[in-house]
Amino acid sequence: MPGMTVEDVHRTIDAVWKLEAAKIVAALTRLVREVGLAEELAQDALVAALEQWPSGGIPDNPAAWLMTAAKRRAIDHLRRLERLERRQEQLAHELEHAPEPEPEDGDVLRLMFVSCHPLLPTEMRVALTLRLLGGLTAGEIARAFLVSEQTVVQRVAQAKQALADADVPFELPAGTELAGRLSSVLEVVYLIFNEGYSATSGDDLIRPALCLEALRLGRLLAGLAPGEPEVHGLVALMEIQASRSAARTGPSGEPLRLHEQNRGRWDPLLIRRGMAALLRARENPRPPGPYVLQAAIAVTHARARTAEETDWPQIAALYDALLRVTPTPVVRLNRAVALGKVHGPETALAVVDELTADPALKDYHLLPSVPADLLALLGRPAEARAEFERAASLARNTAERAFLRNRAAALPAAPPGQGDTLAEAAEAFLARDDLTPATRRSYTQTLHRLTLYPGPGTPLGALTPDHVAKAFATTWPDAAPMTWNRHRAAVRSFADWTSAPPRTRPTADLAARLPRHPEPRLPKPPLHPAEVARLLNAPDIPLRERALWSLLYTSSPTITEALALNVEDLHRRPAPPDPATASLLTRLTGARTRGPLFLSDLITRLESLALSDLSSLLEELKSSPTPLALWPRLIEALTTLTRPRKRPFWKR
Amino acid sequence: MRYLMTTKGGAEADEKLYAEMGAFVEEMTKAGVLLATGGLEPRGLLVTSAGGEITVTDGPFLEAKDVVGGFALVEVRSKEEAVEVARRFRKIVGDGESQIWQVFA
Repeated sequence: MPGMTVEDVHRTIDAVWKLEAAKIVAALTRLVREVGLAEELAQDALVAALEQWPSGGIPDNPAAWLMTAAKRRAIDHLRRLERLERRQEQLAHELEHAPEPEPEDGDVLRLMFVSCHPLLPTEMRVALTLRLLGGLTAGEIARAFLVSEQTVVQRVAQAKQALADADVPFELPAGTELAGRLSSVLEVVYLIFNEGYSATSGDDLIRPALCLEALRLGRLLAGLAPGEPEVHGLVALMEIQASRSAARTGPSGEPLRLHEQNRGRWDPLLIRRGMAALLRARENPRPPGPYVLQAAIAVTHARARTAEETDWPQIAALYDALLRVTPTPVVRLNRAVALGKVHGPETALAVVDELTADPALKDYHLLPSVPADLLALLGRPAEARAEFERAASLARNTAERAFLRNRAAALPAAPPGQGDTLAEAAEAFLARDDLTPATRRSYTQTLHRLTLYPGPGTPLGALTPDHVAKAFATTWPDAAPMTWNRHRAAVRSFADWTSAPPRTRPTADLAARLPRHPEPRLPKPPLHPAEVARLLNAPDIPLRERALWSLLYTSSPTITEALALNVEDLHRRPAPPDPATASLLTRLTGARTRGPLFLSDLITRLESLALSDLSSLLEELKSSPTPLALWPRLIEALTTLTRPRKRPFWKR
Repeated sequence: MRYLMTTKGGAEADEKLYAEMGAFVEEMTKAGVLLATGGLEPRGLLVTSAGGEITVTDGPFLEAKDVVGGFALVEVRSKEEAVEVARRFRKIVGDGESQIWQVFA
C-alpha cells in the first residue's frame, strides 16, 4: 500500500487481529477441538500475515484473509493426522469442499466458556481470556497486570495444558451446569474491569485500557447470550461505573467519593447505555441476581443529578434484595449506609454495631470509618475520632491512612484529665523489663486486638469488661480453648498491672465476662489434604498470604526461612516445585525485582505470634467458618504438618 | 479511545445496501465497538456567534457531495482499529469519503 511503512502495516495487522482473534480462534477450535492447538494455528496465520502483507500489500479483505489462512492451517494439521487415522482425511476433505461456513456466534460463546472454565485458577482464566478473546499479546497482558511477560506466557501455557489434560469439551454448558459456568465467565470479565478501574496510579495507559477490554467482552457476551439477565446486569454495572471515570479523581489525583464527584463530568452516553442494558436485564422475569441488583443501585445513583437528590429508599431496598442473594458483610455495611440516609444515623449505627462484632470484618478498614462518619453526624466527636484512628491503623494504603488520620485529627479528642489512653497504657505495659520475649510476643498480640476495639485513643479509665468481651467475641470467636485462655491471661495481667499503683485504673476485673475455657488433652489428627486445598483456595485469602501459605505447605521451609526470602532469590534459585505456588509467587512479586518477597509488616505480625498450641488449632481450623481470620496460625500449622521437613526448594 | 466517524456522499441506498449496513451495525454493536450511530438530515441549522451576538439560520447549504450523511461513534483500542472499522464501512457504502476524528473525553 503506498505510503505505508512496515510498522504501519504491522499496526494494521495488529488491529485486524484484535478485532478478529475471538472469531478465528473459535472457528479453529471447532475444527481441531482443542483450544491450545487452535490458538497456535491461528498464531501461525498471524505470522504469515506479518511476513506477507508488508511486501504483497494489505489484502482487500484482511479479516477474511486471516480466517482463510488460519483454516488452511487447521486443515493441513488434520491432514497430517490422516496418516494415523483415515477418518480424519475424510473430515479434512469434506471441510475443504464444503462451502465456507459463516463464523458462528455460538463458537465464540463456547470459546468464552472454555477460557473461563472454573477448573483454571482465576489468574489463568483472565490471561487466557484476554489472549484468546481480546487478541492481546502476552506483553500487553503483562503490563496491564504488572507482572512479567514470562509469567503471562507461563499462565497461558499452563491454562491450555490444563484444559487439554481435562479434555474440556468445546460445548455450551447445559442445564444446571450453565449458571455456575456463566458466573465464572462474568467473574473473569468483572475482574478484568476492576483491575483497570481500581488502578488510580501508574503511568501505563494499558491499565485503564483493561476497562475497555472488559466492556467489550461484556458487550460481546451480551450479544451472544441475550437471554441471560446477569450478563446485561454486568454490562450495565460496568457501563455506569465507566461513566464516572473522568469524575473519580480530584485535581491532584486524589480519589473522590460518589457524593463529592462533579456529576457534570459523568459520561451521559455510557449512563444511557448502562440504563438500556439494565432494562434488557429486567425484561427477564427471573428474580434479579447480584449483577442486576448492583447495576440497579448504580443506575439509581446515576439518575440523581445531585448527591442530595439520591433516591436512598430505593437504594436501601435494592441492598435488602442484594443481601438476600449475596449475604456478605460488605453488602451489609453498604446497606447500613443506605439505611442511615433513609432513617438517620442512629438506625445505621445500630446495624453497624452488629457488624463490628463480625469476625470476618475485623481487619476491614472501611468498617470503622462508617460508624466514625455516623458518630460525627450524631455529635459524638470523641467516639468518632477514636473510630477514625482505628480505621487508620487498619488501612494498608498510605494515602488512605493519611486521609483517615486527617479525619481523626479534625475532630476534638476526649476531654483531658482522664490519664493514659489505652494505647499508651498498653505500650507501657509491654515495655516492662520483667517480661520474657515469648510472653511479650503473646501479650502484644492480645493487646493489639484489645486496643482496636474501643480504639487506641480511649482513656484507660473508660475501658470496661464489655469492651473486652466484645473484642474477644469478634477476634477469637472460634479460638481453641488454649488460645482463648492465653489471651484471657494476658488481659488479667494487664488489668492487674494497670490498677496497681502508681497507675490508677479502678479495680474492675476486665476479664469478668470472659469465662475460662476447658482445655482438651488429646492431640488432634492432621488436616486432610483436601481440606488444606479448600482453605488454600478460599476466595477471601489475600494473594500474599496465599502465596506464603502455599509455599510453606508445598516446600516446607521454616517460617523464618520463608520470610527471609527476597525477590531476587526467586530468580537465582531453582524454581518452586509446583506450578500453582510458582504462579502465586510470580503474581506476588509483580514488577518488583528486588527486596523482601513478603513485605515487612507481615513479618512483624508473624513475629508477634505465640505458636504453642498447634494441636488445638487443628481442631479450630476444621470447625471455623472463617479460616481467613485464622490465617497466621494456619501458616504455622501447615508448616508443622509437613514435618519431618523436606529441603526447601531453593536449597536443593 | 473513541473516534467519531462521519460519512459524505456514497451511492443511493438500495435494499441490498440497507441489509448489509444493518448486519454491519449489528456486528459492530455486538462486538462492543459501536457506541452510537445515526443518519443526519441533509440540511440542519446554523448557529453563528459574532461579536457576542448569536444568530440561528437555516443551513449550511452544501453541495450534495459535501453533505454529511451520518455519523458513528466507536470505541476502539487504536487508530488502526478505527481505520479498519471505517474501511469495512466504506466497502459497503461504495464511493465517497469518511472522516475520522479522535474524541477526547
